[in-house]
Order: sequence, then structure tokens, then C-alpha cells
Amino acid sequence: MKLTFSAADELFREEVADWLNDNLTGEFAEVRYRGGPGDEHHFVTERKAWERRLAVGRWTCIGWPEQWGGRAASIEQQVIFHEEYARAGGPGRMGHIGDTLTGPTLLAFGSETQKATYLPPIRNGEVFWSQGYSEPGAGSDLAAIRSRAEFDEDAGQWKITGQKVWTSLAHESDYVFVLARIDRDSTRHHGLGFFLVALNQPGVTIRPITQLTGTAEFNEVYFDEAVCGPDDLVGAPGDGWKVAMGLLGFERGVSTLGQQMLFQTELDEIIRIAKVNGASRDPDIRQRIAEAHIGLKTMRYNSMRMLSGTEDGSLSREAMIYKLYWSSWHRNLGKLAMDVLGPDAELIENGPYDLNRLQSLFLFTRADTIYGGTNQIQRNLIAERALGMPKEPRGPAK
Amino acid sequence: MNFTFTQDQLDFQDAVAAMLRSEVTADSIRARWSATDGTDRTFLKQAHDLGLSSMLVPEALGGLGLTTGDFILLAEACGEVALPEPIVESVMVVLPMLVDILDQGLGNSDVQRVIDGVLAGDLRVAVGHAINPCINYADSADWFVLSEGDNVYLLPREAVVLEAQTSVDPSRRLFLASFTTSAEYLVADGDAGANLLRASLNRGALATSAQLVGLSRSMVDQSVQYATDREQFGRSIGANQAVKHLLADVAVQIEYAKPVLYRAAYTVGVSPTRADFAVSHAKSAAARTALLASRHCIQVHGAMGYTWECDLQIWVKRAWALAREWGDQGFHNNRIHEWLLRKNALLGPEFTFGRGSLTDIAKSG
Repeated sequence: MKLTFSAADELFREEVADWLNDNLTGEFAEVRYRGGPGDEHHFVTERKAWERRLAVGRWTCIGWPEQWGGRAASIEQQVIFHEEYARAGGPGRMGHIGDTLTGPTLLAFGSETQKATYLPPIRNGEVFWSQGYSEPGAGSDLAAIRSRAEFDEDAGQWKITGQKVWTSLAHESDYVFVLARIDRDSTRHHGLGFFLVALNQPGVTIRPITQLTGTAEFNEVYFDEAVCGPDDLVGAPGDGWKVAMGLLGFERGVSTLGQQMLFQTELDEIIRIAKVNGASRDPDIRQRIAEAHIGLKTMRYNSMRMLSGTEDGSLSREAMIYKLYWSSWHRNLGKLAMDVLGPDAELIENGPYDLNRLQSLFLFTRADTIYGGTNQIQRNLIAERALGMPKEPRGPAK
Repeated sequence: MNFTFTQDQLDFQDAVAAMLRSEVTADSIRARWSATDGTDRTFLKQAHDLGLSSMLVPEALGGLGLTTGDFILLAEACGEVALPEPIVESVMVVLPMLVDILDQGLGNSDVQRVIDGVLAGDLRVAVGHAINPCINYADSADWFVLSEGDNVYLLPREAVVLEAQTSVDPSRRLFLASFTTSAEYLVADGDAGANLLRASLNRGALATSAQLVGLSRSMVDQSVQYATDREQFGRSIGANQAVKHLLADVAVQIEYAKPVLYRAAYTVGVSPTRADFAVSHAKSAAARTALLASRHCIQVHGAMGYTWECDLQIWVKRAWALAREWGDQGFHNNRIHEWLLRKNALLGPEFTFGRGSLTDIAKSG
């Protein structure tokens, strides 16, 4: 059983903490604790500059092989990095998608040309990526994708037409990876391709989607014969689904573990306010603070258990239960935050819809149980894949 | 206790609900967000012409002389359309309070004048209470009922200083109100004042409970529609048990909240100062229902449910706000357990189910 990290890992932790402490100062002092969920639209320029600072310190893409500028960090070290990053108040990572999704996907499925073209600018904090999976008709049912890709023989380019939705920070990104249907007659997960597409081109229109927080981190992205080169298809035509699922495996992997430290800072903030405003004297609030702490510790121990089980560096099946657990816990934390604030929960301090951290926490955690696979989809996955139960019937209801 | 409503009550509710549904739409609510005073004046006139303002005022004072039980379904209907203007509070809290003041021979000549003005549709009155930090739509009020300690004051607009606040719910126009105490405006003090404030708290919590039940019902209706229209995996998402059960759970809570609400309405109608137990039960149940409805209905709407464009946000934000208004769940649950754990608490089946239970409860307060 693994309850602690090794001495070498603890040294690594110190190195991370020291570097962050030295560098989240001066021009970067103002981005501390900024740019997280609900705040992603703030300090974009500063946070892009911060990515370049991280790159100088070799703290971008630490899980990548050294050949591509990474540190080949172990899963333990990656978790430690995420933990210390959150503890130090490191700003929401503009480079998150490139670092943890595009990069690992290209390393696993990309050609040498694709790696050489796209990995260095991600590693150096110069190019930012977004994700083009969901469509208006393809949410939980991702295989219902209708965006089309066609190879224009004359121009020697792929042309992509369709609509993607819930594309995080597309308006601040340079590239998007797009899942699109190559074979017109194909259905479901057949006949798809995984494309690397520049956003700054005439065929792409980005429209922000305002959320109930009044802010717009998500976008609708319209492709009208948007182009990408012949080398920008990852894998073979028809391999799109395989690549896309491989990518989702990375998404549900290590990058989600470090967020527990962010959760800890949120719980700490709630406890601090409860002590100041007297909510901590309420027996119900006290019980719920204890429950929140218990839930967070439980997540932590389960993460350590997941790490214990990895001989080959990959995450075990216990990872499957994580999304359902953390999203439900986090949603409850949002409610606790509001009850600790009491009547102040309703009032916005700084004019129209400039929410404070806990209000953002509450409103954004309403979405935690939806994005990245709803709680209902997660339960189906656990029941059908982990427990081997019969699959839910699909197709028209009788 | 009779939980059925008369045909007259149901017909009137239908008429008002139909008017509300056609006049108070999601679009008209969004239009209020950018209107200077957040008010749809045409609608207010229509509501007044239907006789809403005067419903609970005794006939002798020029009203319709109906009871709280008569109005409770209409309060629910106002919640169902997420009506922004505080008509329910005006009918259920403000006017009964002013009438109480007159009945008890308290107050000054302003009281009668203000009641007449409201019945004529010329005046609006807002009420402040220590349990609510802010007053909704205070900027549209011509008169205010405010208190300090057990002293109750009826003040004209010019005697009150308002400070605007911003609510998470864009439909709510919140203000902090302050005033300089003056004998000129004092309408009640001592025990009489305390009783007025206690009755107002119960009336306010009841009014809010009814709206929370109405809000919940509408959220379920919207979600049933969405889950039927939205298709994934080749069929309506509502065909999946995991989705439809979310809404069934809310429907069950709503149906169980209703008898509690109607019973509280009865008790408030009979004796508003002795209705703490019934009202707290109703507010707690209604708030729990509405919070569950908000959570499950956003979930059923998926990513659409947390967009600004989706009208569901109008209802969930109101539910979040009203769940705290006139006492949050903690406050009301405390009133219940304090009542239950008293030395002389009236406990046991004869008081829960017995024929005399209501009068005993009313007497024991």
C-alpha cells in the first residue's frame, strides 16, 4: 500500500514549490488564483505570458518524453506538480489542452511530421489549442457527429464543414482538433477522421456562448470549408474514433488528480469565511464541513490507491469512478459555500455579474456533473463496463 | 381540515393563471431586465383590474374579503411564471399587515390612505423585515413598512434612503433601506409591533413557499419538454430511466409539498401569529423541493441548462434566491425543532392526527 510519496518525489515537490514561489511574483503576482473555472476569461494575455515563463523553467508538458522537451515525469511527479501548482495559486493553464490532450495524442498516434510541427510550439507556450468534439446533435452521443471532411484533390487540402459546440476558449486559441466524418455514407464511430485545424482562417467563425454566470468561456465554432493540410489528419481516414477515444483516456487520466489541491484551497476558503461570519457556529454547517473534508480525503486516498496499482505508469480501472465522485462532491461543495455565505450569497459585490470566487464556484459546479460525461453516462459506464451489466437499449423508444 | 378547493377557487385560479401565462413570458421577463424600473406597467394594470391587489382586504375596507387559503393557488401560479414584480408579497404580506394595524386601532391617518391608494391601483408599498437584508423592487414603492426592534413605521418614499444591490437573479431589484426613526411615522410598538412582525414573517414565508412550489412545477414542465424533444442515441433522452427518474423524484416532492403548503395557508388565515410551526414546515419543504428541482432540471437540460440563453436560468436563479428569503431552511428547521423539543410540546398521535390538533396547535403557537 502506498500512503506517501518517495523521498525523491518529495524533493521534486520542493523543487516545484520553490520555482513557483520564485516565479509567481512581479508581473505574475496578479494572476495568482485567477483563470480557473468561472474565471477563465480573465488575464488571458498575462496567462499566455505565464505559459512562456513556465516553458523557460521546463514546467510545461512535464509528462512528455525528453526528446520533445518534457521531463518524462512519472505519474507521481505529475500529480505532485499539479498539487503544488494549485497550492501556489498558479493561474488557470492556457496551455492545458495542448499539454495534456493534443500532445499525448500526437505522441501516441501522430506522424513524425505532425510531432515536429505541432509539439515544439505547445512545449514552448507559444501555441494554444481547443477541442472540437461535441456538436449540437452529438453530446452524450458523441458518435452522432455530422461535421464533414472532404479531400480537395485540386487544392491538395482537407475541407471541413460543420458546427462544433462547447468549445472551451476557442476565441483565445490558435488551433482546434476536430472530429469529422470523412466517409459520407458512414454511421456512428466508423468513417471519422481526427483533424488539426488552424482557427485563424476565413472558413472558421467563432461565436461565444454566454453561460448562466454571465461569462463566456465556451463557444460555438462554425466551419465552412475550413482548410487544413494533407498532413493534418491524425492516423488513417476512419481512425478518428480510435484517436478520439485515446485522447479522452488522457483527459480522464493524471491531469484530473492534481485538482484535489484546488478543491482543498476552496474548502479552506469556505472554512475561513465560516469562522469569520459566524456560520461555523451552525451545527448543520459544521457537519457539512466535516463531510466535505471526509469526501476530499477519500478522493485523495483513492488517488494514492490508483497510483499504487500502476506498474507500467498507466492508470488502473479505479479511475473510472473518479469523475462521478469528484463532480458530485464538488457540486455539494458549491452549495455548502452558498449556505456559509448566507444572505450574502445572493448579492454581487462589484456590479452586474462580477461574481466572487464562491459564487463562481457554486454556479460552475452546477456544470461539473454534466461536462466530460454526465453523471448518468458515468453510471452507465460503471454498470456496463466495470460491472458487465446488460447494455441500455438504444434506438427509437417504443 | 379540507384539502379540496371549491369550484370558484379553481375557476378563479384558472383565469389568473391563463392571464399570467400569456402576459408573463420568458421574453417579457428578459425585457424587464433592461427596463429602467424592471416593471411591465401594462401587466400591473391588468393584474390590478383582475382584482388581485384587493383579494385579501375585508369587504368593509373595499376589498374582496377572501382568505389566505383562497389566494394560495394564485401565489403558486405567480411562481410558476416566475413573475418578477412582488405582487404576491403585496397581497399576502403588506396589505394584511396594514389591515391588522387598522383593526387594532393603531397607526395614524396614513394607514387608511395608503390602503385606499393600493386598492385604487395608485400606490405601491414595500415591506422590510429584519430577516431579509434587502427589499425587492423597493425603487418602485411609494410607501414603506419598516421596523426597528419591535417598532413598526409606515414611511413615505422621501423618508427612506435606498442603496441598490445586485442579485444573482437578474429579475430581482434589491435595495438596502435605511431611515431615521421618527414618532411621526410610528404605527405600532411593544407587543403589538412584535406580533405584526411575527405575522409578517409567517405571511412572507408562506407567500415564498407557494412561489417555490410554482417555480418547481414549471421547471419540471420545461424539463419534461426538453427531455422529450432532445434526442441522443436515436431516441428521446427522457426514454432513459436515469433521466426520467430525476424528474419523477421532483414531481413526488412537489406533490408532498402541496398539502403542507395548503395547511399552512389555512393556519396563517386563521391566526398568523400562531402559525410558526405550520409555516416553517411549508417553507422548509418548498425550499427543499425547489432546490432539488433546480439541480435535477439543470442536469436534464445538460450543457444547455447552464447557458444564459436557456430560459431555465430564470427559474433556477429565482428558486435559489427565494429558498433563503423570509428565512432559510436552517432558520425554519430550527423553529420546528425548538417547538418539538419544548417541555410542553404537544407530541403524539392525538396531536398529529387527532381531530383537535389544528386548534391546539393554533392555541399553543
